[in-house]
Amino acid sequence: MKKIIIIIIVAVAATTAKAQFTKATLQASGLTCAMCSKAINDALKGLPFVETVKPDIKNSVFTVSFKQDREADIDAMQKAVEDAGFFVAKFIVTGVFINTEIKNDEHITISGKEYHFLNVKDQVLNGEKNLTIVDKNFLTANAFKKYTASTTMQCIKTGRAGGCCTKAGLAAGTRIYHVTI
Amino acid sequence: MKKLLYISAIFISVTASAQPAVGTLSPEITLKDVKGNPVSLSSLKGKVVLIDFWASWCGPCRRANKHLVNIYPSLKKKGFEIYGISIDDEISDWKRAITADKIQWLQVNETGGWNAPIANQWKIEQIPTNYLVDKEGKIVARDLEGRELEKAIDNLLKK
Repeated sequence: MKKIIIIIIVAVAATTAKAQFTKATLQASGLTCAMCSKAINDALKGLPFVETVKPDIKNSVFTVSFKQDREADIDAMQKAVEDAGFFVAKFIVTGVFINTEIKNDEHITISGKEYHFLNVKDQVLNGEKNLTIVDKNFLTANAFKKYTASTTMQCIKTGRAGGCCTKAGLAAGTRIYHVTI
Repeated sequence: MKKLLYISAIFISVTASAQPAVGTLSPEITLKDVKGNPVSLSSLKGKVVLIDFWASWCGPCRRANKHLVNIYPSLKKKGFEIYGISIDDEISDWKRAITADKIQWLQVNETGGWNAPIANQWKIEQIPTNYLVDKEGKIVARDLEGRELEKAIDNLLKK
């Protein structure tokens, strides 16, 4: 019986890569102190999947925890920061992964969303991991340049599937999150 | 004409619920200090008071504390007081910052961060935010800092 359960678990896990995102750590920059602004706090708290927003002065970041029963929308958070008059300088999302095999400079579907891993070793993710989003507007311009140089795929520039990705069965224009560990 | 008056009356009553304005009497505030004892702003009547909204996680507030720590002792002797209002959600963070910054003035706190009732009542949109109040309890200036603040306090103390 135990064996069967294990086999079932392995079978289920092998078919789909899964991740449950629990929180994000983000740094916002601007002309004024981002953590001192109510606007940015309200904008993030106003998102339906956000549970709490906590400022962390030591690392000058916001820790944003997600509601358990809601799917976090990474792009909505970036937009919320921008709408409040700031820009994202660093964005790390924490997730619990189950048997997620990743390869450097390749796309992978995790829980129904597309990810493109850059500057990573090929590996299998299990347990809690932090992904740094390296799409445009999720990091400083200089840091973004560094990551665009690490791949020949065009999708890094737009964050959307282009000609090179459609070969892999992705519809043109599909959102692809570019990430590193 | 009557209509116009009516409209402006509505306008005034609407703006009256906005943040306390320079030139008006400061609303009463009663919040708890580090030991949990309530401290009222009105208990400082007769003194020049700086109402200072801040939090431990606010970098510019902490830098402003450094300046206040320097000017406070001599001004206190002349009848000046600071009513520091922290909107820290974690009381321990607030207390740690008081110790770290060597704050000697009155400190009160209301948890809830940006949505603490006092922050909502005073329509605090960013911190640090401060209000300078004269001996009669009237708000005379907002968001002064550095030399400007020192000069304004000096002038009010002489009155």
